[in-house]
Amino acid sequence: MDIELIRARLNLYALLQNFEQLVQLDREVAQSVKQWNVSIQFSVLNGPSASLDFQNGVCKHAIGSHPNPAIRLFFLSPRHLNKMFDGSGTPIPLKGFSRLGFLQKDFTQLTERLEYYLKPDNARNEDGDYRRINTTLTLYTAAHAIKELALLEPTCNAVFSHTPAGILQIGVLPEGPYVHLVLTKDGISVGKGSHASPTATMTFRDIESANALLGGRLDAFQAVAEQRLMLNGMIPIIDNIGLILDRVEHYLK
Amino acid sequence: MNTFDYSQSQAWFARACKVIPGGIYGHFSPAPCVPVSAYPFFGARAKGAHFWDVDGNEFIDYMCAYGPMILGYAHPAVDEAYQEQMKLADSNTIASTKMVELAEFMVDLIPIADWAFFAKNGADVTNYATMIARAATGRKKIIAIKGGYHGTSPWMQATGHHGLIEDDHANVIRIPWNDFAALENVVNQYDGQIAGFISSPYHHPVFADNEFPAEGYWQKVEQLLRKKGILLIVDDVRCGFRLDLGGSNEHFGFKPDLIAFCKAIGNGYPISALVGAGPLKSFAAKVFHTGSYWYSAGPMAAALACLKELKRINAPNVLRENGTKLNDGLVRIAKSHGYTLKVTGDPGMAYYRLIEDETLMLQQEWCGECTRRGAYFTSHHNWFVSTAHSDEDFQRTWDIADDAFKAIKGR
Repeated sequence: MDIELIRARLNLYALLQNFEQLVQLDREVAQSVKQWNVSIQFSVLNGPSASLDFQNGVCKHAIGSHPNPAIRLFFLSPRHLNKMFDGSGTPIPLKGFSRLGFLQKDFTQLTERLEYYLKPDNARNEDGDYRRINTTLTLYTAAHAIKELALLEPTCNAVFSHTPAGILQIGVLPEGPYVHLVLTKDGISVGKGSHASPTATMTFRDIESANALLGGRLDAFQAVAEQRLMLNGMIPIIDNIGLILDRVEHYLK
Repeated sequence: MNTFDYSQSQAWFARACKVIPGGIYGHFSPAPCVPVSAYPFFGARAKGAHFWDVDGNEFIDYMCAYGPMILGYAHPAVDEAYQEQMKLADSNTIASTKMVELAEFMVDLIPIADWAFFAKNGADVTNYATMIARAATGRKKIIAIKGGYHGTSPWMQATGHHGLIEDDHANVIRIPWNDFAALENVVNQYDGQIAGFISSPYHHPVFADNEFPAEGYWQKVEQLLRKKGILLIVDDVRCGFRLDLGGSNEHFGFKPDLIAFCKAIGNGYPISALVGAGPLKSFAAKVFHTGSYWYSAGPMAAALACLKELKRINAPNVLRENGTKLNDGLVRIAKSHGYTLKVTGDPGMAYYRLIEDETLMLQQEWCGECTRRGAYFTSHHNWFVSTAHSDEDFQRTWDIADDAFKAIKGR
């Protein structure tokens, strides 16, 4: 098992996609990216790649190569990429040298804002808006990370191999967020929003419960018994995806 | 029909969470009881086929403590034997003769048994059985069924569960139930390396229909394992004494080398047993396996009384009749509401599923509505009837089931 490769894929596929939500959820960020017209490619030598495309205040994340990125950032290895995500490494720019200022200033501010929302503390969590954004981003990150771990990590892959096929919807009452995972024998795909006919559902009573559980401050069994988390449908799907979810933190700290 | 309030249960749960991991752990955890709002968490007392929760709600119990209560709660003959023994001694510095009497009774009762060994829980004796198999064969590997449950020791649990490491499963090979070809394949692939094959007598997983052995399955299995020098271990913890007093293998017509019993053996008193064929006795003696309370004489006296009573009333017949009666009524009521209730497994410990909804959501709603009206049904696990369930209980249960179907209509 190549832990660095797994972490690189989680960084590129599970963490990076959060920019899509961030530009929608945070007013300051929405304002600052409004005029951005830039695409950034992240590529690892013989490894995973992903891109972010900012146009008209909207961000689109895509797995694989962008056809014509304005900026191309190259990494010699998964470890090299992971070091950048940890804040201790720098990429090799292959294209977009004139935009280095943008990378160093504007984009760095954006990544710091994402980090701010993904690293809560008690004081930040007192703020309802912060709590909602943190919960939304954490939920989406988790869903995408589950997809990657089920495919790549041996223990998670073994768990996934005996998980029934179906659709798991995870959501928060009363107004979301919702995410759903479509499980087939080949793997998992992630959809944002609710699903019309899920096979199993995990529904949090409120954003506070979701935030506490996803933040590791609430025991899942306790949450279920206290009806802060309601389970329904094919519980073996929830059990197994829960096992994979619990391993995400080993890779994304 | 009135539905129950569980405010005291919930208050106790809040207290429990402060001092106990998960509040209530293991198979009693509320987590698989869906919707959890329909279920009580804490019991106050129990008698016959009924229990009362801390809110004072009375339930006709179709889980029977997840199997042990085969004669019903607080059975007079069993409780009296236990109390009498407790006046003499329970835990002691030396062994009780009750152990010898119980072993003698079991050796007489169970055709394959030439000896018996006692512990507390099912996993104590399933573990012991695999240790004996390894000691007797000098081999490492154990074959088990995918989805089969033998307790919570690391090797018994599915990959990925918390606290396990990959090495825990290094010598366990899982094959599908009823798949003789798969068994043949692994036996050939690991020729000379397999110590034992452990399986329940029929497949009773959770969240899925239960499955009986295919015609001739066990006979072919027995023949192959004998030829290869592999021990056949039956985990009869859940089914034991419910299908046949001589072991569930008698019901299906085959002879294992070792049988693990628990649950129904003591009608709720904590005791488990491993019985085995004569040639394994010396290996069983060599394997060191013990526990602080494995020699408690009270549960041994209770087990002896329980087994005698099961024999006296021919309990498997009673359970089969009770189960069939309950099931026929429930299927008929479901049909009258336009649903098909599929019943699988032995009638006295069947698994129930409304086939209209493969997600189990409908099943969960119906079981929940029954429970909050006084018939304790789970949607994830096979149920159990006892010899204490009466016609009056079944009529009340059918009335509840009928009302619960009305409640879920249109959801």
